[in-house]
Amino acid sequence: MIVENVSRPGPSESMPRLLEMRGMDKAFPGVKALDGVNLAVEAGTIHALMGENGAGKSTLMKCLFGIYKADAGEILVNGRPVSFSGPKDAMEGGVSMVHQELNQVLKRSVMENIWLGRFPKRFGFVSHKMMRDSTAAIFDELDIDVNPRALVGNLSVSQRQMVEIAKAVSYNTKILVLDEPTSSLTNEEVEHLFRIIGKLRSGGVGIVYISHRMEEILKISDEVTIMRDGRWIGTEPASGLTVDKIINMMVGRDLTHRFPPKTNAPGEELMAVRGLSGMYAPTCRDISFTLRRGEILGVAGLVGSRRTELLETIFGIARHSKGSIVKNGRPINNKNSSDAIRNGFAMLTEERRATGIFAGLDVMFNSVIANINSYKRYGFLSGHRMHGDTKWVIDSLKVKTPSQRTHIRNLSGGNQQKVIIGRWLLTKPDVLLLDEPTRGIDVGAKAEIYQLIINLAAEGKGIIVVSSEMPELLGISDRIMVMSDGRVAGMLDIADATQEEIMRLAAKYV
Amino acid sequence: MRPGKGRVMLFMCMLLAAMFVSTAAMAASPRIGILIYKYDDTYISTVRNALNKALDGKAQISMQDGKGDQATQNDQLDVMIERGMDGIIVNMVDAQAASGVVDKIKKAGIPVVFFNREPNLDVLKTYEKALFVGTNAADAGKMQGDIVKSIWDENKYDINKDGKFQYVMFKGEPDNPEAIARTDFSVSQAVLNGVKLEQIGETFVCNWDTALAQQAMESALAANEGKIELVIANNDSMAMGAIAALSNIGYNVEGGSKLIPVIGVDATDQAVDAINRGIMSGTVKQDGEAMGNAVSAIMLNMINGKAPLEGTGYKYDDSGIAVRIPYSPYVGK
Amino acid sequence: MADLPGSSSWKEWLLNYSLYIILGVLIIIVVIYEPNFLSTRNLSNILAQASTRGILALGVAGMIVYTGTDLSAGRILGVSAAISASLLQSVTYASRMYPGITEPLPLVIPLLLAILAAIVFCLINAFGFAVLKMHPFIISLGTQLIAYGALCLYIDSQANGAQPLASLDPRYISAVNGSFDIGFMNLPYLVIYLAICSAFMWVIWNKTTLGKNMFAIGGNPEAAAVSGVNVTRNIFGVYFVAGILYGIAAFLEAGRVQSVTTATGLNYELDAISGCVIGGVSFTGGVGTIPGVLIGVIILQVINYSLYYLGVNAYYQYIIKGLIIILAVAIDVRKYIAKK
Repeated sequence: MIVENVSRPGPSESMPRLLEMRGMDKAFPGVKALDGVNLAVEAGTIHALMGENGAGKSTLMKCLFGIYKADAGEILVNGRPVSFSGPKDAMEGGVSMVHQELNQVLKRSVMENIWLGRFPKRFGFVSHKMMRDSTAAIFDELDIDVNPRALVGNLSVSQRQMVEIAKAVSYNTKILVLDEPTSSLTNEEVEHLFRIIGKLRSGGVGIVYISHRMEEILKISDEVTIMRDGRWIGTEPASGLTVDKIINMMVGRDLTHRFPPKTNAPGEELMAVRGLSGMYAPTCRDISFTLRRGEILGVAGLVGSRRTELLETIFGIARHSKGSIVKNGRPINNKNSSDAIRNGFAMLTEERRATGIFAGLDVMFNSVIANINSYKRYGFLSGHRMHGDTKWVIDSLKVKTPSQRTHIRNLSGGNQQKVIIGRWLLTKPDVLLLDEPTRGIDVGAKAEIYQLIINLAAEGKGIIVVSSEMPELLGISDRIMVMSDGRVAGMLDIADATQEEIMRLAAKYV
Repeated sequence: MRPGKGRVMLFMCMLLAAMFVSTAAMAASPRIGILIYKYDDTYISTVRNALNKALDGKAQISMQDGKGDQATQNDQLDVMIERGMDGIIVNMVDAQAASGVVDKIKKAGIPVVFFNREPNLDVLKTYEKALFVGTNAADAGKMQGDIVKSIWDENKYDINKDGKFQYVMFKGEPDNPEAIARTDFSVSQAVLNGVKLEQIGETFVCNWDTALAQQAMESALAANEGKIELVIANNDSMAMGAIAALSNIGYNVEGGSKLIPVIGVDATDQAVDAINRGIMSGTVKQDGEAMGNAVSAIMLNMINGKAPLEGTGYKYDDSGIAVRIPYSPYVGK
Repeated sequence: MADLPGSSSWKEWLLNYSLYIILGVLIIIVVIYEPNFLSTRNLSNILAQASTRGILALGVAGMIVYTGTDLSAGRILGVSAAISASLLQSVTYASRMYPGITEPLPLVIPLLLAILAAIVFCLINAFGFAVLKMHPFIISLGTQLIAYGALCLYIDSQANGAQPLASLDPRYISAVNGSFDIGFMNLPYLVIYLAICSAFMWVIWNKTTLGKNMFAIGGNPEAAAVSGVNVTRNIFGVYFVAGILYGIAAFLEAGRVQSVTTATGLNYELDAISGCVIGGVSFTGGVGTIPGVLIGVIILQVINYSLYYLGVNAYYQYIIKGLIIILAVAIDVRKYIAKK
């Protein structure tokens, strides 16, 4: 591993650096997402960018690619200031990114995806031969074994990722950002990916590598920059770092006052999950745990640890291949969401906008929809009772809305979330499955949601909270189950749980 | 392969099989292809039934529904010719397209009888085995004009006593020759009979359709209630629509006191019933059964090499290749 | 899926060739009842009858690739057909629409005007879709009425009032309906025209940026936009090409039926859309091939033709057609269903 004179980021005296971001600031309403962040990447090196979820890594990258406009700071490529208007512009300027969620046209071929927007032409017609040949040349160079004519939708995630890297290479990229590239790859695939990255590095490309996997980072990076809470914490040569040191730098924060006092007390066993596995990989495998009345069970894990899949499998949205669920001493089998609702489950989905709210409809509709059958009187819906229940949701959850008839899209994220929690409470569940309940909600509203969750537990409901914000889990849970690569890596009592321990468990099987 | 798919396939095959068994043939009788402009037309349905009855046992028939689209009918004709029919009976969707149809049949050399919708007879004259059986479109209009005269003579429907009938007109289609003839001749005949007429609003073109006519009548009544004294419609379906609109506001109700005369054409069962109940004033009977019998008799004569009109009792009109089935007025029992 | 051995590979084969299998089964069923069905004459009849619908379908297919549709195709065809027929009425026909035309026009002028009219309507659709951001279903629903109104006005503007546009120039009729013999069979010109249009569209779809970008937009509009594809321009381009095809189809249809009325083109778009969908142009967007569209249209026409041929009761014809369409599409979508 080549490590050359690594110095703290700052204006270089001699050679300009390949990429330099200086004093980046970015504020969103209620949050300072970036606060004077620096990042400097040398040509021909791999530069790891680390930090907890929410530390500001992706905001920093979005500023680089012109998706966000930074409030302050400057970006230099080879010493020249740049300001990209968007990903396409950045790509043409030699800066590309391979996202964790690949944005590709699945139903078209590999080569068309690579050359989309600039198809090679002969005599005015798109030349498949040129397209194929140049794709094959890049694949040869990078040792990628994919048929340029294959449909992208038929490739594995790893192959699709390679196609994205090849696309970046086809743009003569000088700086390549990889966001969690290994989160859903097998070991062999990871090795292959590293070989490709190695080739790019020796070709003089500067690579920004975003990952949670400590060992991986220590193995391949030249330098590591660590961020926390939107601030730059430090940049060190990888050779001088250890896993513990990285964790300390990433976490090093006081857990404070952000959480309401816990007034709930776990009681007798409510539900037991035994050996539950999903049907279609990748998914959760062989999960066993119990949940008590009045208990808040936090579920921690890295992106890709299949926590959402676990909730979906319990709720019956995703099919299970084996395992059982016993609730109140009675075996249950949720084959679909209506079974689950009947069995007293409620689920708050992660993607609120996509799967949670009906944006174009009003607060009342959004409140009563999961419970709609109970408003039938002689086959017609009773408006009176729907109004009553909506009023209960608004009052008891303190939803700030001008009226029941307001379209939910006009409410803030926190208030939308409260309406959806209210929707589920109307179905009188005793097990609540909450997937990232505070994502995208501002700090003040978060505290209200925490209070709500604790109150519900105090009423005797069992609650499972999946969250990527560790302080949140530590602040409200009674126990924390850590998942790693679809399996349970450990169950921690809140008294013994620390961020360091959780991180160690989260990386157990990756 | 999912199990379901195989089952669906099997079901489809059985369905197809079931349907074709019913069309299985008697060998010796002649095969006649019949092309109908549209199955769901009340008058044409009476002709269809008459054709079915008249040819039953005498010929093996294959009848197709043109679905109101001339292109579809052309496609169906191609198939009939290809299947080696001995003769074709055609009820054109678009009578103006007859030249293409005649050309195709001429190539096959088989006899053809057109009926109902009247092609340009000069086109038919280009092929010696082509004949037309129809009505005289003008006659239906003229008979409507005569009915208008007899209603006028009852002397109780000129509400505003201005010596004129204020009327609304319902036309079948903008460019259909029968619709044009009925619209024009009903008025001109009434005028010829000495009745003064004044049209209210534009002519409503309602595609021979009850629902459309009802809508149009409702809006006409909303705009001109009390001014409309007479309704003339190109067919009974539209006349029924007008009556429905009238009855909604208390006119033309059985046993009621207020009646606005409504006149149609076709003498459908529904219209005859309405006239007998006193809520409609008259219609013109286009004799579908006589039409069907004439067409089938002529077709069989031509296939068997006899003189076309032999034994039918009909005569050619001036053109020498067309037979006219007479209309008759119907104003109640 | 691809790596599983054995049974799943023949399942996949069945799925991939399901359209051809359906076509084959249909033909076998018909032949069982009517062994004479397999004649070159029937074949050329079917292809000729499929021609104008096929050309229309080639135009509609692009819009379905965008996850849209075009409800106005039939009425646009009506307008363009009226234009070509009115300009090509026989100059000896006394009540022709344009008595001023005393010398027969070259056929190409009415053809170009028909295409122009169709393009104008298609660009209205494109404007609604690309600029006003309306769903194509809605904008074409409106355009369809506008086109019908224009058609009625045009036909009604004749000196003698509304009457069908007929008595067409014999040159026109023979240019559309003619045929020539090659070896064992008689090949109608209509089939040649369909072949030319198909080749043209195959090139557009597979060999031009326009076609490639169209698939990208249909498959993943965000990815397309991020890759620098000009979505608006692409939509206008695809609709423009559709206009050309509608115009050609209209010109041929008027000559084929030899009379144009206000009903011409009614519901043609439904046949065109069914053909596309049977042929695997997916309503979920981004998927479709020109051979697929052709096979789809031909399957539809084989159904029509054979039901006529077998003399099936007209009302059952609807039911059978409906069932076959559902069956074909139900099998076709299996290719793309994702499992959770």
